Amino acid sequence: MDGLFMILTHLLMGLGQLALILVAAPLLQGFIKKSKAFWQMRQGPPILQPYRDLRKLLKKEELISEHASWIFLLTPRIALAATLMAGLVIPNAWGWAPLSGWGTLFLFGASLGLVRLFLTLSGLEGAGAFGGMGSSRELFMGLLTEPALLLGLIVLAFITGTTSLQGITVGLQDVSPLFIPRILVLIALGMVSIAEMGRIPMDNPDTHLELTMIHEGMLLEYSGTSLALLSFAEQVKQLLLISLLAQIIWPSGLISVNVGLLGMLLALGFAGVKVAVLGFFFATVESLFVKRRLFRAPHYLATSTASAILALISLWIIRGQI
Amino acid sequence: MVNKGSQSVRQLLMSLSIALAVVGLILGTILISRGGEWITSGLRFFTEAGAGLSLTWKLDGLTVFFLFILLLGQGLSSLYALGYLKEYEEKKKSLWSFHVCWLLFLGSMFGVLLADDGFTFLLTWEMMSLFSFFLVLYEHEDPQNRKAAYIYLVMTHVATVFLTSAILFLYTKTGSFAFEVWTGVVPSLSTIQLNLIFLAFFIGLGTKAGFVPFHIWLPYAHSASPSPVSTLMSGVMVKVALYLFIRLVWLTLGPGPVWWGWLFLLIGALSALVGILSASVQSDLKKLLAFSTIENVGILGMALGSAFLARSWNNSWAIDLAFIAFFWHTLQHMLFKSLLFMGAGNIIQATHTRNLERLGGLLKRMPKTGLGALIGIIGITALPPLGGFWGEFMLFQSLWVNTSYLTNGWSKVFLPLAIGILALVGGLSMATFVKWFGISFLGQARSPVAEDAKEVHPAQYIAPLIVGGLAVLSVLWPTATLALIDLPLSVLRTGGAVGVLSTFEAPLNLSSIYLILLILLTMIVVILSKRGIRRVTATWNCGQPLTKSMQYTAGGLTNPIRVLFTKVLGSHRLVEGDFAGTRYSLRSLTYEGRIKEVFEDIFYRPAIRGLLWLSSRILKLQSGSIHLYLGYLLITVVVVLILGR
Repeated sequence: MDGLFMILTHLLMGLGQLALILVAAPLLQGFIKKSKAFWQMRQGPPILQPYRDLRKLLKKEELISEHASWIFLLTPRIALAATLMAGLVIPNAWGWAPLSGWGTLFLFGASLGLVRLFLTLSGLEGAGAFGGMGSSRELFMGLLTEPALLLGLIVLAFITGTTSLQGITVGLQDVSPLFIPRILVLIALGMVSIAEMGRIPMDNPDTHLELTMIHEGMLLEYSGTSLALLSFAEQVKQLLLISLLAQIIWPSGLISVNVGLLGMLLALGFAGVKVAVLGFFFATVESLFVKRRLFRAPHYLATSTASAILALISLWIIRGQI
Repeated sequence: MVNKGSQSVRQLLMSLSIALAVVGLILGTILISRGGEWITSGLRFFTEAGAGLSLTWKLDGLTVFFLFILLLGQGLSSLYALGYLKEYEEKKKSLWSFHVCWLLFLGSMFGVLLADDGFTFLLTWEMMSLFSFFLVLYEHEDPQNRKAAYIYLVMTHVATVFLTSAILFLYTKTGSFAFEVWTGVVPSLSTIQLNLIFLAFFIGLGTKAGFVPFHIWLPYAHSASPSPVSTLMSGVMVKVALYLFIRLVWLTLGPGPVWWGWLFLLIGALSALVGILSASVQSDLKKLLAFSTIENVGILGMALGSAFLARSWNNSWAIDLAFIAFFWHTLQHMLFKSLLFMGAGNIIQATHTRNLERLGGLLKRMPKTGLGALIGIIGITALPPLGGFWGEFMLFQSLWVNTSYLTNGWSKVFLPLAIGILALVGGLSMATFVKWFGISFLGQARSPVAEDAKEVHPAQYIAPLIVGGLAVLSVLWPTATLALIDLPLSVLRTGGAVGVLSTFEAPLNLSSIYLILLILLTMIVVILSKRGIRRVTATWNCGQPLTKSMQYTAGGLTNPIRVLFTKVLGSHRLVEGDFAGTRYSLRSLTYEGRIKEVFEDIFYRPAIRGLLWLSSRILKLQSGSIHLYLGYLLITVVVVLILGR
C-alpha cells in the first residue's frame, strides 16, 4: 500500500513537472524576445505572444508535401515527447527530477539526440533543397556539440561523485562558486547551450534566409499543428537547457514539502528569477554578436570542448591527483 | 522459368537451417533454466581425429552466450536467405556452391566457439575463413567482388600466420594444445614472451574482428558478399573473433600488464573514429554499413579495454560494467546490423543499385522494409529508447567508475576523453545513418530504378521485422537480457561477488521505463494533436517547379564532415570550369570528389612495395645458370655437414 502510494505521488509529481515545463516554455521564449527587443530599442512583441502564436498555428490548416511519408507527421509528435523525456531528468525548481538515479546525465543528451535524428530525417522528406541543407548543417552541428555537452556534464559528475543529474545539482551546493573546474565547465556548457538552442553566433532563430538557416531550414515544410508542436518542442528544449545551467550556477538543493506552501512558492519564484536572468543574458549575447559561418562552428565548439577538458585536468590538479 | 528442383532444395535447406536454430535455442533455454555447475566450469567432450589426435570441445556460459548470438543469426539470416536466394534462381545461377558453403560456414563457426584446444581452434578457424571466402566470391562474375575476396583471403591468412605462430609457440612451451594447460604455464613465461604472444593474438584476432589498421578487407568483403552472408559476417563472424579475445587473452593469458588495456582502448577508439568517419562519406549502401561495423567493433574493443584496465586496477565493479556493456552491445549490434544489411539487401534486389545517389522515396514503395530499417538506424546510432544506447550507457558508466576509483595519474584524464570520443562517434553515426536512411527511403526517387521499386519477397521483410521486435523486446524486458549476459559473466567473474542480476537489474529497468514513457507521451501528443485539416500539396520551392535533382544528395548531406576532416579522410575535390575562352560564359563544369583509403596508403602500399623489392632482390639468386645452382647445392651440402657433425 505504501509502495503504491509512493509510485502514485511520484507519477503525479512527474506529471506536475511536465505541466510546469509546458507552461513555462513559451513564457521564457516571450521573455527572451522582449529582452532582445530591449537591446534593439524596440517595443517588441508582448511576453505572451508565443502562446498566441501556438494557439493560432494549432487552428490552421496543415499542408503536407506530396513527397512526404508518415515519418513527416510522426516527427513533431516524437520530437515533443522526446524533449519532454529529456525534461524528466532535469532537476526542477525544488531540485528534484522525476527520473533520477544512476546515469541520468547520459539520458539528457541522448533524448535530445533522438529529437535531432527525427528532425534531420524530416528535413529530407520534402525533397526540396532547403530541408536537406538544414539537415546537413544540423547533423554537422550535432556531432560537434555532443562531445562538449557530454564532457562538460561528466566533469560535473566527477566533481560531485555521481552520474545522476539530480545528485549533481544537490552536490554542487557544497562546491564553491569560484571553484575553477566549475567555472570552466560553465563556460563549456554555456557555449554548447547556445549552439543547442540554435542561437547567434551558431544559428539565427529569427531568420528564414536560405543561406543561413539551420534549424528553421528543417522546419520549412511544416505548417499548422505540426509546426506548432515543433516550435513548442524547441521552446521546451530552450527552457531545459537554461534551467539546467541555472541549477549548475545556483543550485537550489533538494527542497522538501516540509518547508510549507510558502517555501515551495518561494523556491519556484527563485527558480523563475534564475531562469529569467540567464534568459536575459543569452538575449544580450545574441544582441552583441553576429552569426558565424558554418565552417567557423568547429572552432567555437572546439573551444567549448577544450574548456571542458581543461576543467577535467584542473579538477585533478586541484585535488592533487595528477 | 524457375528451376523447380533448385527451388525445393533452397526451401528444404533453409527451412532445415531455421528449424535447427530454433531447436537449438529452445534446447539451450531449457538447459540453462535447469542451471548447473557446467555453466561456470564447462562441459567437455572429445572427438577422435585419428593419428593420436583428438579434438576437444567445451561448453560453458561464455560459449553459450555466443552460441545464442550465432543461433539467432543463423535462424534469421536463413529466413532472410530463403527469400533472397530466389533472385539467383531466376538468373539461373547454381545455388549448390552457396548452400554447401553456407552450411559449412555456419558449422565452422559453431566449431570455433566450442573449440577447447589450439589445434581444434585453428582447424575450425581456417574452415570459417575459407567458407566465408567462398561465400564472398559467390557473385564472382563481377571483378570487384573477385578483388574483394582476394583481399579478404590475403588478410585472413596474414592473421592466421600470427595465430599459428602464437599457438605453436605455446605448444612448444607446454607440449599441449589445451587452453587449460596454457593458463598454467603463463606465469612461467618471461614478460617479453607473454607480450609477444599477446601481440600475435591481438593482430591475428584483431584482423578478423576488423580493428583499424587491420580492417582494410572488411569493407570490401562485407559489401561484396550476398546480403544474407553480409548479415552473418557482420553480425556474427566479427563477434566470434571478439569472443576469442576473451577466451584466449582474458581467460588464458590472464591478467597482463596495464598497457594491454590501453592498447584495446586506443585501437578501439581509433577503429570507432576511423570506421564511422569513413562510413559517413560513403555513398555505397553496403560499404557504409561495413564501415559502421568497424566502428561498432571499435566500441566493443573500448569496452574490452575498459575491462582489462579495471582488471589491472582491481576494480571489480568497473569490470562488471564493462563486460555488461560488451555483451549488451554485442547482442544489440548483431541485431541492428543484421536488420540494416537485410534492409540494404532488399533495396539492392528491388532497384539493382547500391548507389545512394540513385535511390530515394523508397519508404512509400517498400513500407515494411523501411519500418525495419528505421528501427535499425535508431538502434545503431545509440539513441534511446532502443538497445544501442543502453550498451553505450553501460560503457560510459564503466569508464566513469574506472576513473573515479583511480587514486591518481594522467589516466584520470585519458579515460574520460574516451567518453568524449564516444560522443563524437555517436554524432557522426547519426549523420551517417540519417544519410543512409534519409537519402534512400525519403524524398523522391532519384532514378527510374528507384521509381519502379517494389516490396520484396515476404521472408525478406518478415526477418528484419522479427529482428526489430527482438530489439524492442530486449529493452522492454531488460531482466531477460541481463540474465543472458549473466551466463558469460559467471565464467569471467572471480570470487563470490554479488550477483549481476541483483546489482544491475534496478538501474537497467530504466530502459523499459524510458521506452514505455516515451511511447505513452508520443501517443498522448498524437491524440491531442489529431484534429485539424490536412492537405497534400507540392513542396515549396520559391515558386519554381521541383525537380529530382534539387534534392540534397548523399554526398552533399555529409559534405561538411568531409570538409572538416579533410586531413583524416584524405578527401580532395577538383572543380574545373570550361569557359571556352571567354571569362564569363560557362560551357561545362567538371566536378570530381575522391576519398582516399588513408590506411591503405600509409600502411599497406609501402608494405607491399617493400615485399616486392625484397623478392626482386631474392630473384637475383635465381639466374637460370645451372653452374650456379650446382654451386648452391655444394654450399648447402657443406653447411649441412658442418651443422650435423
